[in-house]
Amino acid sequence: MAIVELRQVTFRYPDAEEPALSGVTASILEGDFVVLAGPSGSGKSTLLRLLKREVSPGGTLSGTILLERRKIESWPAREAASAVGLVMQHPENQLVVDTVEHELAFGMENFGLERSAMRRRMAEMAGFFGLEPLLARRSDELSGGQKQTVNLASVLMLQPRLLLLDEPLAQLDPLAARELLGMLKRLNDEWGITVVMSEHRIDDLLPIADRVIRLERGSAVFDGTPRAYAAEAWRRQDPAWIESLPAVTRWALEEAGRATSIRTAQEKPAWMGTLSGEARRFMDAERRNDGGPTEEPEEPEEPEEPEEPEEPEEPEEPEEPEEPEEPEEPEEPEEPEPMPSFLPLSVKEARAHPAIRDAAAHAAPAAKPPASEAKPLLQANGLFFAYDKNSPAVLRGLEWTVRQGDRIALFGGNGSGKSTLLQLLAGLREPQRGEVRLEGVKLSRLPTQARFSRIGYLAQNPLLHFVHDTLREDLLHAASRVGSPSPADEVGRMADRLGLSGLLGLHPHDLSGGERQLGALALALLGRPQLLLLDEPTKGVDALAKKRLAGHLEEVHRAGVTLVMATHDVEFASRYANRCSLLFQGEIVADGEPEAFFRGNLFYTTPLHRLLHHAHDPKPAEEGAVQR
Amino acid sequence: MSEGFGLRSLHPSVLLLYYAGGITFGMLLFHPVLLLSGWAACLIVNGHLDGGREWRSWSLPMLGAFVALILVNPLISHRGRTVLYYMGDIPITLESVVYGATMASSLLGLLTLFVSYRILMTEHKFLFLFARFSPKAALLAMMAAGMVPRLRRRLKELMLVQKTRGIAVSEGTVTQRARNGARLVGALLSWSLEDALQTADSMQARGYGTGTRSSYPAFRFGPRDAWTAGGLFAAAGIAFTLWANGHGYLTIYPRLESFSLSKGDVGALAAYLVFLLMPLGWEWRDRTTWRSLNFGK
Repeated sequence: MAIVELRQVTFRYPDAEEPALSGVTASILEGDFVVLAGPSGSGKSTLLRLLKREVSPGGTLSGTILLERRKIESWPAREAASAVGLVMQHPENQLVVDTVEHELAFGMENFGLERSAMRRRMAEMAGFFGLEPLLARRSDELSGGQKQTVNLASVLMLQPRLLLLDEPLAQLDPLAARELLGMLKRLNDEWGITVVMSEHRIDDLLPIADRVIRLERGSAVFDGTPRAYAAEAWRRQDPAWIESLPAVTRWALEEAGRATSIRTAQEKPAWMGTLSGEARRFMDAERRNDGGPTEEPEEPEEPEEPEEPEEPEEPEEPEEPEEPEEPEEPEEPEEPEPMPSFLPLSVKEARAHPAIRDAAAHAAPAAKPPASEAKPLLQANGLFFAYDKNSPAVLRGLEWTVRQGDRIALFGGNGSGKSTLLQLLAGLREPQRGEVRLEGVKLSRLPTQARFSRIGYLAQNPLLHFVHDTLREDLLHAASRVGSPSPADEVGRMADRLGLSGLLGLHPHDLSGGERQLGALALALLGRPQLLLLDEPTKGVDALAKKRLAGHLEEVHRAGVTLVMATHDVEFASRYANRCSLLFQGEIVADGEPEAFFRGNLFYTTPLHRLLHHAHDPKPAEEGAVQR
Repeated sequence: MSEGFGLRSLHPSVLLLYYAGGITFGMLLFHPVLLLSGWAACLIVNGHLDGGREWRSWSLPMLGAFVALILVNPLISHRGRTVLYYMGDIPITLESVVYGATMASSLLGLLTLFVSYRILMTEHKFLFLFARFSPKAALLAMMAAGMVPRLRRRLKELMLVQKTRGIAVSEGTVTQRARNGARLVGALLSWSLEDALQTADSMQARGYGTGTRSSYPAFRFGPRDAWTAGGLFAAAGIAFTLWANGHGYLTIYPRLESFSLSKGDVGALAAYLVFLLMPLGWEWRDRTTWRSLNFGK
């Protein structure tokens, strides 16, 4: 039964020229785990908020939204509020009251539930989420992941049948994100609760989702299974689509593409044959296992060309009243891209296939230029820092050297002190012991202004950098502070360079996450820094904006600026860093070139390295030694 | 010591009664001997709750206020017949000295009472009481209380980062500092307002405002509470009756009476002390049980 039906839903914000949603038609089955994909500004949030009446935006809406076959407007207030739950992006801003226990009870209080009923639900939910030890804690003492878990649990207290999540993972570090995702999967599996989740990093989601709906500029351009999505993304060869695939899938697809080009160039290599045949069989089995009930009837496969294996998946959803229109139809190329027959969505799937391991052995990752042995730029000698005398020290005798021209990715768990370290290196905080030297001069000896313009610092929350009403004013202020002869020109040039020209008149709060990040970067660059310290620059930024940011950072680096970024984003670091360091227990415990760094790690590493690691090092003794 | 033990196990309404009575008598009874005895009783209660730690942390400002009041009152009030001496041409009267001292001991007693209030009346208990009258007001009070530390934390973050841009309240001329301060506060407020909108969404999404609210914090009114409430009422009744008949009150102006306690004063003192110390009985009882149950372990 469809729990949600959207029929030609078009929505326009009051003073917008373009509609935020146009003609979206889809139906979501009960118990589905649906992922809403798409770049930021594509209407994901708008769609979710239209499904949750209490927070629906004002504007003109046409078309029908049916919730359990009833028009959403005709639901009584209380029923509507409890039937649909919503979890949003920022963990902290959703917390209303002081303690965890009371936060969980907040929704139930609004519904005027009896005390005994509340206690009972509380007992159940706290048990399910393992929140019992946290119940008495103040909610602002919790970590981001814990806060988001509390938000999820407090929404579930109302026993919704449809759970909406608007980029719930964006502000979390990967570990916390994975934990929350596991929880959602469990809810979906065990309680049969329907989950609709928007996210711009969908690579972790594809393996567990039942369905992917992709929005682009307000229309649904794709609606189907994750596997079909991967195939479609590959067929389109659109970077925005491919970027959203799991790294393993992308790699397998590229690998298959390379293999095909080899095939066309010379004779088909022997292993390629096994790949096609075996992969085919593997995938069929796979589909039978997890494809869901809607796919079973047509399963008997004709031995068809591997070129368009995913096509039959579309019409196989008999319960969908209307087929979502697929605008790709007209632009169907006569000679489609070589379609891989094998689409692994996770490392496990990829590794299960011997041919992929073979391919992995052939594909040695591109070597990065080795870290330069240039002269040291910034040196930390025996840094010791604690926030107050009773709390444990964050940094304990840390020694580290940043060399000229480095692009360092700094890893470390939550609360390991990455941010603190960056603030010390930037001269924002004074260490209790030890010193930081910039080109041999102690930071505390440098005049403040010179220190802060030579070392650019970007905080985790880019909003902290803005205090004026428009981006232009903020940039002008920064430019005139460093004594630029014509601040306005300088700002214009900087805005052009970072693609911010169209945004100068906006209030910083009206910018998207990625734009704020670029704005803060512009502020720092106006000081002409030698060294740029970035704290989690990719947090809450979608794939495309991340790519743009990376491009700009690369350019900045080419211009001679040394980069240090604290990050959880292993993928990002593996692509753009030339040195990786790991902060643990107040010291740098690993420091080296990315390849060596990632190969030696099992946790702080990319999925691709997890896959390739085994392919490259098949000797079990060695593997065991690394794993333990 | 945890909630649910001794004094802390009492129902919030009983605690409210205790503090309402304690404050009322601390102001009605106006006799240094009674008030200082009451203060001693409050100290004993504090000592039982946390070994007097919380009180010690407040003691310095409290004693400061005590001394200041004793010193200041004679200087600004010159009522009373008995002039002790003249400071220049300012008469210092015995009456105003005694009045100041009595007022100061009343204040000391009340402040000491408030220290134990802070320990006993947790936010949860307070809300439980408040939410009966107006659930919305209770929610508002709590959200406002939570806002302050949040704002402070954010201002710190903001100031740290803005240091890099030279926007700080610690450098530049006075006007510049003022301007920077205003900028920082402005940025803080717009940031917080932005977030408050999301909080509002989160509240609405969870059905806020769809009907009458109930309240989650739960405390059961047990026999222990009934006994205590009864005892408190009885003691308060006796003390009040005596006070209404003119006992427990030292006549200071125009001429100081004798400090000696009449029978009625002694009765009022006894009732007042019983009132203040009675709830400690539960503390004793629970401790004895604890000791006898865990002896030798």
